[in-house]
Amino acid sequence: MGNCFKSSSNDDISLLRGNDHHDPALEPAPFVEPPPPYRPQQRMPIFHPSPGVSRPANQLTEDEQIKIAQRLGLINHLPTGKYDGTNKKAKECVICMNEFVFGDELRYLPCMHCYHRECIDDWLMRSFTCPSCMEPVDAALLTTYQTS
Amino acid sequence: MAHEQASLLLSRQLKELCKSSVDGFSAGLIDDDDLYKWEIVIYGPPETLYEGGMFKAHLLFPREYPHRPPKMKFVSNMWHPNIDQEGNVCISILHEPGDDKYGYEKAAERWLPVHTVETICISVISMLADPNDESPANVDAAKMWRENFEEFKKKVTRTVRRSVEEL
Repeated sequence: MGNCFKSSSNDDISLLRGNDHHDPALEPAPFVEPPPPYRPQQRMPIFHPSPGVSRPANQLTEDEQIKIAQRLGLINHLPTGKYDGTNKKAKECVICMNEFVFGDELRYLPCMHCYHRECIDDWLMRSFTCPSCMEPVDAALLTTYQTS
Repeated sequence: MAHEQASLLLSRQLKELCKSSVDGFSAGLIDDDDLYKWEIVIYGPPETLYEGGMFKAHLLFPREYPHRPPKMKFVSNMWHPNIDQEGNVCISILHEPGDDKYGYEKAAERWLPVHTVETICISVISMLADPNDESPANVDAAKMWRENFEEFKKKVTRTVRRSVEEL
């Protein structure tokens, strides 16, 4: 069966570091150079444009960029909330298998299944499908628009 | 964070499977220090050709579990349309998630992050009982299954016997 190819996902970190060179002529020579200003190490986000393919953001084709931007937009439109214990049916996130704790950030899908926001957002970037009922999220979105 | 999530999930499954075993298979780690590599023994399902067999397999999880599927490979010799000559299991739930542009397999048929060692083993057991010859990983086995079932049966019986001897 197909789809067994892999792609390397090496980040070119050197591109992210910027140019830290100082002109020695401008510095008082005998002093030890002060440590460079603190910069949090930023890594290029990795996306998954199709099954088994993972690529850093700067190596996506134009079509893939559009698809991913649309996906991000759709995910952002899905309602979120904080767990307050009122929903008696949803007690745990089936992705991480942890029980919801008061104040946990949740994301609700159109099929009414809910998960930790962090758990489901990562999943939806790979597959736009509800892990519990396997309903495609975009199709479910359309039906909710049509009925409301 | 992803890394921690994977090892947490896997250690919890290990604990649960040790506490109460599930019919049809047994599971443990290949090496006690590595939660990502499991050894599974699948018991050939009753009333099938594989009955009586004890087939050893390895289940190798990626760091991105549960967002990506593990790979399953039989170490015992196997003869089955959906297991290739190297022992790799080819079932759709172990395929990388998402919608491929060729529409070869729907996203819903592929990997889902709710799968566990248990659900994977149960799928493999039902695959043994009920081969899918539409997309065979072992074409010769699929052909034999369809066209020369007696020969297929003989070959499977031999692997069943061997699996027990080798265990």
